[in-house]
Amino acid sequence: MQQNNIAIKVKGLSKDFDISESGRGFSGKLKALFYRRRKMITAVDGIDFEIKRGEFVGYVGENGAGKSTTIKMLTGILVPTSGSAEVNGIIPFKERKKNAAKIGVVFGQRTQLWWDLPVRESFDLLRVIFRVSRSDFKSQMKKLDKALGLNPLMDMPVRKLSLGQRMRCDIAASLIHNPPVLFLDEPTIGLDVLAKESIRNFLTEINREEGTTIILTTHDMNDIEKLCKRLIILEEGKIMYDGETELLKQKFVHEKVIEVEFYDDGNIIQGIPGITVVREQGCKKWLTFDNDNFGIGDVIGTIASRYKIKDISVNEPSVESIIRNIYNNRAMLATPSEE
Amino acid sequence: MNPKLFIKFVSVSFQKQVTYRFDCFVGIVNGFLYVFIFTSLWKALYSQFDTTMHNGYTLTAIVTYAVLVMAVRISFTMHDSIIYRKVMDGSIAMELIRPTSFFFMNLAENVGHSLFHMMARTVPIVIISVFLFDIYIPFEVKRFLLFIVSCIAGYILVSMMNFIAGLLAFWFIEIFPFLLFKYAFYTFFSGGIVPIDFFPEFLKPLVNLLPFQYMLYYPTTILIGRASLAEAQSIIVAQLIWIVIMGVICSLMWGAGKKKLIIQGG
Repeated sequence: MQQNNIAIKVKGLSKDFDISESGRGFSGKLKALFYRRRKMITAVDGIDFEIKRGEFVGYVGENGAGKSTTIKMLTGILVPTSGSAEVNGIIPFKERKKNAAKIGVVFGQRTQLWWDLPVRESFDLLRVIFRVSRSDFKSQMKKLDKALGLNPLMDMPVRKLSLGQRMRCDIAASLIHNPPVLFLDEPTIGLDVLAKESIRNFLTEINREEGTTIILTTHDMNDIEKLCKRLIILEEGKIMYDGETELLKQKFVHEKVIEVEFYDDGNIIQGIPGITVVREQGCKKWLTFDNDNFGIGDVIGTIASRYKIKDISVNEPSVESIIRNIYNNRAMLATPSEE
Repeated sequence: MNPKLFIKFVSVSFQKQVTYRFDCFVGIVNGFLYVFIFTSLWKALYSQFDTTMHNGYTLTAIVTYAVLVMAVRISFTMHDSIIYRKVMDGSIAMELIRPTSFFFMNLAENVGHSLFHMMARTVPIVIISVFLFDIYIPFEVKRFLLFIVSCIAGYILVSMMNFIAGLLAFWFIEIFPFLLFKYAFYTFFSGGIVPIDFFPEFLKPLVNLLPFQYMLYYPTTILIGRASLAEAQSIIVAQLIWIVIMGVICSLMWGAGKKKLIIQGG
């Protein structure tokens, strides 16, 4: 029974690409006719993870870190060079069709709808492809329409949809067969704040209510912070963090920033253990302290007992700034938020 | 594959063709031009000799062949670059995430395309040709049915040939030169220009080793009465054997190609 709790199991998964390069310019291209330098690129380099049913996992990394390649292997599009993967107990690259029937996939920069057909007909084709009964289809469409506001779009040809409208339709298309596992590869790319918000709400809802396992790759850290309890960070094909999004802060953030506004600007802060002033601006001061060794209550208490405080707030570093720092391999330093 | 789904995709592909009506008009003119050129050539050639029969063809027989082989060829029109284009722009990924066979989806797309060309181009060209040229078709119901079966088999072979050629894109990505080469090979060795009977002796062993003659030449010979009904049946058996052989090649190439596939554009 233990086995049934696991939606995705990946072990030692790797993918190499054989890239042949031709030189630059006319002479380079001419040379390439006779001789090409072959180059091996390891896009995904022996990754392991397990995802339980009902999890909402953020899968992030810089461009070219291997996120999309992983998703393409888990959806059966690409065959891995080595290693194993199971989705719903099916090996995707051995039984692509069987796997495809049990997953939903959205690639933000592509569409799985038919460019020339009205949205309604695209959905109807997908209904036949995924062998969804008419009654199931009807109730599922009702639900999707309510959450994503599809009705006004149904009779428009796909090519006339705006990016946000198309994305809503594509997300609906990936859920027509109510799959237990959903892969989203940058579903909020290029969307405005409102469209992002409505898609986020919808994803939270299906994750909570249907127990759909969702794997989301994105460059938008707000997506991650709002949606994903668990985060996997990929760098150069290797996993460099796999754990709760909240714990990321505990693990990588050792200093917190306190923003204090005093009544007069003459105060000189000194003699409080663990505190350094990083920035001053009139009555406002930004202080950092080592949060591994000092409790936040003690620090604020000490400041409040010595000075008159008008306003005080503690700045949490955003997931984005943490990840940016991880990418840059810099010392983890929570910087004050810029105004 | 689910037949209902197959038919649905045939109809989607058919409808897509209907949007390109101007193409269709040009296609009729172009097809008819071919028919006119070939029949004129044969008439000119035959007038040079005293004998009325060459390689078993009278002038009427060869003109009939020229018209009908073109009719079959036009009906077999399909986009041989579909797979290549899908690999080039990476949209093949969106097909692989569906629980459908890539081969059969491709076949359905081809059938829709071909049905349109058959209705919009072959039918008018044949009607015009019947009035303009001296054509003789022995009409027997059984012969006609055998011709239809042989055509379907020939069509499957052409579709498989294009599938194999298209899969080369998994290895090389840019395969346009291959497609040109394939087109030349197919048009000539299938008897699309000259019936196989007119080929020089040294080419015949090669022709017999290749599947191309079963695509256009043999189905056409059934219709025009060059093949007896008994021969027609053995032609169909040979076509089925080729379908099996090419089917094995298709699935081996598909299995190997999947490992080579790179999705362009992320």
